[in-house]
Amino acid sequence: MDERSFVAAQDFLLEAKKYWTTEIYGALKADYRHKAAKAAPGEPAEVRAMLGETVLYRYYAWLERHLQRFKYSGRYGLAPYHRERREALLAGLADPGGRLALDPDLDVPKYYSAVDIHQHPGGVSGEDIAGFVYERGSRSTTPMLGARHRDLHQRFTDILAAEGAPSRILDMGCGFGKSTRPFYDSFPEARIEAIDLSAPCLALAASIAAEDQARNVRYRQMDALATDYDDAGFDLVTSTMLIHEMPPEEIERSFAEAHRLLAPGGRMAHLDFLPASEPFARFIHYGHGRRNNEPFMRPLAEMDLEGVLAGLGFRDIEIQPFAEADGVDTVDSAAWRFPWAVVSARKA
Amino acid sequence: MARSEQTFFEDEALDRAFGVVMALATEVQVLRDRLGALEARLAAAGLVEAGELAAAPGDEERAAGEADRRAFAAALLEPLLGRQSSKSVG
Repeated sequence: MDERSFVAAQDFLLEAKKYWTTEIYGALKADYRHKAAKAAPGEPAEVRAMLGETVLYRYYAWLERHLQRFKYSGRYGLAPYHRERREALLAGLADPGGRLALDPDLDVPKYYSAVDIHQHPGGVSGEDIAGFVYERGSRSTTPMLGARHRDLHQRFTDILAAEGAPSRILDMGCGFGKSTRPFYDSFPEARIEAIDLSAPCLALAASIAAEDQARNVRYRQMDALATDYDDAGFDLVTSTMLIHEMPPEEIERSFAEAHRLLAPGGRMAHLDFLPASEPFARFIHYGHGRRNNEPFMRPLAEMDLEGVLAGLGFRDIEIQPFAEADGVDTVDSAAWRFPWAVVSARKA
Repeated sequence: MARSEQTFFEDEALDRAFGVVMALATEVQVLRDRLGALEARLAAAGLVEAGELAAAPGDEERAAGEADRRAFAAALLEPLLGRQSSKSVG
């Protein structure tokens, strides 16, 4: 496919997604409010009983599923586009120098390989160009942000920087380094280690860091549940959009590993999705997880995170809503949005 | 064997048919984009006046396109008649 057709098709799909985000979601929410005024549901299952069979909800759900499917897999999808350009893309990767360490013997966990997250065919490590596919796809993950998509990661970094610059940072589940980049940019004196299961994503991340001439970051292929770092070697352990991709048992193990890696007083902070307790928000979020091939969104939302973290010995446990851009209503947005939240805790 | 796609409508045929509609809609936008680019370059080269193609066509031009319009409408809607184009039994 030619470049122009790819861009035109992807732009069209994004416009359709924006319409879904504002108009279709808005109409669904209005329908819910109208129906809930008579008898307010207390549970997501009751919202499903109220809306699930309506024509509007069926189209809402269909579009959420299939606009994403077209984005990745249609004639003008991200996967075929990048596959056609495979050799040139791989040849264009910058020499990572000492910034990349892959582990060809790494066994990926079953939960990770069983589902193609985001409807990305083969998943984020299924082929050598998967990092490029993921990177391109991530530019429109939050449809209303547009060109400001990078700001989101910087905003998270700024929150963490507010209490002073960390000197040893571990970024778990770093993917192609979108979350890591603001750390090595914002904290040039810090030593940043970034780990992920996906070799193709890490290769792209290290290439980007090499082009940035970053001297303080290293990307390593490793499972965040069992790293090879020494005890108490970090003062910040973080992740962005990682924990909702893991089953609860693995989330708990990753917290325990973070606890082991943190120095006393060190901070763990995860930027992720946690819907409000309000049943419509949960119904929408659980459906999103199903339709976007992210089966652990719901279990995460139903976890007792405070209890788990306290049980592991963390203190100063906080779960705060996160505004991905200025002016966002984190409580009652008129348009569909991810229920961003920061989960933060400190090692005693 | 390929896994079955998720369904959202009571009749799965609607799930699949709407997918065809979205694929065609995407293709239409790709064509509109290409046509717009072509018109802009033709205008830049002085081969058409800017806005010339957006003006209403004259009677002569409309008449010239009539046979093509008719054939397209017939081809698009003919399947709604449900008639056989070749003999079959049962």
